[in-house]
Amino acid sequence: MAKNKSAEIPHYELLFIVSNKYSEDELKNVVKTAHKTITDNSGKITYSEEWGKKKFTYPIKHFHYGYYSLAEFDCLSENINKINREFRLNNEILRHMIVVKKLLSEKEIKAEKMREEKKISEKIKEEKKESKIIDKKESKKTEQKVDMKQLDEKLDKILETDDLL
Amino acid sequence: MNNNQIETKKTCYFCENGIKEVDYKDIRTLRNFINTYKKIFPRKKTGLCSKHQRKLALAIKNARVMALLPYIR
Repeated sequence: MAKNKSAEIPHYELLFIVSNKYSEDELKNVVKTAHKTITDNSGKITYSEEWGKKKFTYPIKHFHYGYYSLAEFDCLSENINKINREFRLNNEILRHMIVVKKLLSEKEIKAEKMREEKKISEKIKEEKKESKIIDKKESKKTEQKVDMKQLDEKLDKILETDDLL
Repeated sequence: MNNNQIETKKTCYFCENGIKEVDYKDIRTLRNFINTYKKIFPRKKTGLCSKHQRKLALAIKNARVMALLPYIR
């Protein structure tokens, strides 16, 4: 196992925040330079995603909003410190986080698929049950409504008699 | 002796749903494990297994650094 681990290139996940003072056109360049720092340090970007503008839960350097962007990459572990330092020195990026991400094996992917299918089937079952219950309730409601009408009539009668008295 | 309360067996949320690693970006699930003062619930309340409680705490702390979750209210 240990031999295999050293031979494999570890997989990382990077999330960074670009401050709100840049427009969306400028943001593209900032993201590009950020990706370039990874590729310059012999990294390979496998996936990237833009979350868009988001509100922070607390202000960072007097900014309340920022652009989040996510990237996954393969890189040698020796170069991670370098990438980290470069991101920290980059003034355009407010904050960043690099986390080791475990890639799922084929077995795990299969198991996940099975679980999702199970969930969906369970949901359908529950919905069917709920619809049945609702049907029953509705039928009960109609009965109750009839009862209410009868009650109203009775009440009216009683009231009328009271008026007479 | 107060046996009025029915004891319910709590099971680990992540084990039940087959989640091995707790993702710090998934705020919707993390929100279930912090109180109104944004403190992390103890194991007694979350009902998580020790492995996942530790991973959850780390995930919440990571989310706080990236301003996805607040430190305090």
